[in-house]
Amino acid sequence: MLAVWQKIKADVAGRPFISLLTLITIVSATMLLTLALATLLNLSAPYDRSFATLNGAHLWLYFDRAKVTRRDIERIEALPEVTESTGIQYSVTGRVKIGDTRVWVSIRDTPLQPPRVNRLLVQEGRYLLPRQNEVLASRDLADLYGLAVGDNVGITRQDGKKITLPVIGLAYNPTWDTYRNTQPPYLYISESLFRELYPDSTAWEWSLGLRLADPEAVTETLARIEALLQPDAVRSHTDWRDVKRSANFGARLNFILLGAFSLFAILATVLVIVSSISSFVLSQFRQVGILKAVGFTKAQILWLYLGQYLVLGLVGCPIGLALGLLLSPLPLRNVASALSTTFRPPFNPLIVVLVLSIVPTIIAAATWRSARRAAKANIVKAIATGAEAPAHKEFWLPRLAARLGFSIPFVLGLSDVFARPFRSLSTGLNLLIGVVGIVFGLTLNETLETYKANPYLLGIAYDAIVTRGITPDSKVRHLLARAPGVTAFYGEYRVDVETPTGETFQVRAVDGDVTAFPFRILEGRAIRPGTDEVMAGQGLLDWLELRVGDELTVIVDGRRNWPVTWRIVGAYTEPVNTGQMAIANFSTLARLLPGESPSIYYLKLAPNADTALLKRYIEPKPESDLNLTLAGQAIPGVVVYLQLALFALSGILIGIALVSVFNTSLLAVQEKLRVIGVLKTIGFTPAQVLTMVNTSAGFLGLLAALSGLPLGWMFTKSVLAALSKTYGFGAVEVTLNMAYGAALPLLMIAVSVAGSYLPGKRAARISIVQVLRGE
Amino acid sequence: MTALVRVVNVEKIYKTGAVAFQALRGVSLELAEGDFVAVMGPSGSGKSTLLHLMGGLDRPSTGRIEVQDVVLSEMNETALAKFRRTHIGFIFQFFNLIDNLTIQANIELPALLQSGRERKAVRRRANALMERLGILDQARKHPWELSGGQQQRVAIARALINQPTLLLADEPTGNLDSKSGQEVLHILRECNAQGQTILMVTHDASAAAQARRVIFIRDGRLVEEMPGEDVQRIAQFMITLTET
Repeated sequence: MLAVWQKIKADVAGRPFISLLTLITIVSATMLLTLALATLLNLSAPYDRSFATLNGAHLWLYFDRAKVTRRDIERIEALPEVTESTGIQYSVTGRVKIGDTRVWVSIRDTPLQPPRVNRLLVQEGRYLLPRQNEVLASRDLADLYGLAVGDNVGITRQDGKKITLPVIGLAYNPTWDTYRNTQPPYLYISESLFRELYPDSTAWEWSLGLRLADPEAVTETLARIEALLQPDAVRSHTDWRDVKRSANFGARLNFILLGAFSLFAILATVLVIVSSISSFVLSQFRQVGILKAVGFTKAQILWLYLGQYLVLGLVGCPIGLALGLLLSPLPLRNVASALSTTFRPPFNPLIVVLVLSIVPTIIAAATWRSARRAAKANIVKAIATGAEAPAHKEFWLPRLAARLGFSIPFVLGLSDVFARPFRSLSTGLNLLIGVVGIVFGLTLNETLETYKANPYLLGIAYDAIVTRGITPDSKVRHLLARAPGVTAFYGEYRVDVETPTGETFQVRAVDGDVTAFPFRILEGRAIRPGTDEVMAGQGLLDWLELRVGDELTVIVDGRRNWPVTWRIVGAYTEPVNTGQMAIANFSTLARLLPGESPSIYYLKLAPNADTALLKRYIEPKPESDLNLTLAGQAIPGVVVYLQLALFALSGILIGIALVSVFNTSLLAVQEKLRVIGVLKTIGFTPAQVLTMVNTSAGFLGLLAALSGLPLGWMFTKSVLAALSKTYGFGAVEVTLNMAYGAALPLLMIAVSVAGSYLPGKRAARISIVQVLRGE
Repeated sequence: MTALVRVVNVEKIYKTGAVAFQALRGVSLELAEGDFVAVMGPSGSGKSTLLHLMGGLDRPSTGRIEVQDVVLSEMNETALAKFRRTHIGFIFQFFNLIDNLTIQANIELPALLQSGRERKAVRRRANALMERLGILDQARKHPWELSGGQQQRVAIARALINQPTLLLADEPTGNLDSKSGQEVLHILRECNAQGQTILMVTHDASAAAQARRVIFIRDGRLVEEMPGEDVQRIAQFMITLTET
């Protein structure tokens, strides 16, 4: 074993460049694996993390002010299931002016000292200061209406006077649900300002946040609370699990894309290590022959190479692991951002254990496989021809190139690709990983672009929304029918319904023809006006275990004697409330909702509609109670921010593939040194040597691009399809710009030639005598 | 006779780290056109180094080498490669053929590297050489399908394809059986008879005896020169050289 150990030391130290390249490969592959695992294991962690940090409330109760007393609140807080409480939270719901837009918000009385339960996370700007007339805004107002720190918000006081307050910060509330139309975004103001603006405390709404001993016992605790109070004293409530589901649902495209990236990264890690180490070991076939000739046994040969690469792994793995952990917030920053929070993955010993066992195992397996092949080789043959004798068959392509009059270096370069198919395969595999990585990144990016350009893919089927205050429904319809650029519209009234078995959800009761809107129908069709048809969100169908064609019976507004039954004619992508919503005709509910009419109107605009003109038409005066919001503002920031993360991750992946291409090119050229020496002897110039080497590399790059393009596309499509199914997203529209497809072969030729340029240049300059002496 | 090759006071020092090894020490030599010179000497005496320098495969540390009045050490890499291609033919002990090319392609390769050479003319010349060397029927085969003697004939044909000024042979019979070795030497003598200038490095006295003159080299210095006819004398001198 001493001889083996001495040879290991000599090989590692005596070939510093090769050792360095192996080390770089191991470090980069380990880093990639760490990143991928950290991403996969923490995909849903940002929400949990922020919820725990902010000591979020598990149950939030919104009371009917007339039916609840302070004594009731005390009794709730005294329940054994309740561990902590926010105390009564006072608020007023009203419209505020953000820029040109009037928005429904909940204005909250906020303590100057951050509370123990359900603290706010200030993401931009600062928290409220004493004796300051200022507001802290919900982060969602920034996403929806472009509100920024430093902007002003127009608020109408209780006495009808209008005041303008500066926005001093943007904050995230861990228990504010994302059911935006049910619970408006919050504006936080100090206790003193709240009392100054709204002195009549009887107009204040009450709510209460509770931490529970058993966070999963929300339903049971709610039942106990409702039993303590007058009937219907709890107007509505928020279950922290719904908020989490809803928040994660909003970020599901992130999960799908980052999950896909992680799976690919793990695959690439394995392939890069296997192909690089196999290449290194096989390039030393002659040496193996010599070692066997001087008496090394097969086992000693195996231990020699296992030792070499495990020593390098021992150095490389911790470095790669540390770098991976350092970079791990990068992909998850976007998920966190989509959840309106910040997140840094905690140190997870599981990742360390996984990485430090997976990478050395791959190294050992790859080394074992190649070294075993080398150890079993015939000694004379190994010394004479190395790992691979040139193929005996002559290939048609180099022959054709020669006939067409291509230069000799070019023809020889082509010929070399076919002469050593195993080496070419190894180099080609690394290039293929690079191509698939590029196609993967480009496809994900193009897919995101498609989603940005076509909001309907995210379930946003409209171009604009109009909301009304006091203007009657009939007048709004009259206005919209004549509005410039509006091609179709329908009104919506959102109603809470309950199934006979007690599941509650919301229905979009629509008045108008929804068939003109490009709803993303996953199955079946859209509802027709005036029928008792219903279109259900996929999330609702999954939840209630229903299918298209089934009947759906609901109780509206507690009227159990008049249940409504619809036929489900289609399933669609519902962008909110975890997809647990349905769309039905308002006419089927009108008799149960006397005096009610739609308050939101969804608009389809002509392709080149003048939106500024439309806004002036809908909101002719600043005090108009009609509001126009364009759909572009409704595209989740998640889609936009995700691009940066994907580009960065794809860049790392491609960089690793390039290092690998360089490694294999270098080894391929080293194996060709004897031939290059001979060619130089008979008159090859350095430029011709370089041409030959680059032709081989460029041709392999071309082959890799041509095979990697469809492979990468199919891989991306299938991974996204599998993941989107897992996350209940419906089919993901995967697109790839054909211009990229045309440019990629050129790029890969360039990349491959760049990878072989330095080794080729070195070979072109090598002393012929040195090569011949090496015989 | 006019001097075709001039080696003037050439020294060659190889440096490996701090260790320097002087392979040639002030060697001067001239080859006339049509000359056939054998270089003999013990292992490590510097004979292969001399051949490499004369073929422009390496550069002397000091001194000058001229082939047809062209100073090799003054040329850059590319010019030297082109010069080798057109003026020098090499034959090696281990043949050094390109494995994945056919015999015909191996032979035609140096000619096709030259721009302006008509493909048909190259093919005619290659066929003529193969016929002359008795390997025409092997044209479409690959090197590994041929015997050692046949491979060396291919190497000779490749070396002659561009009608070089100087043919350099490094132990051309060293890897062959005696019959094949004799055939190769016969071919070389025939070439020389047709005016080809040849310098051959060898250990074999009988091979050296085929040359017009034999020069002996030891420790990087030329120590003796004699006509190449008397095998006994050559062998005797070689033994003396090795033992002293």
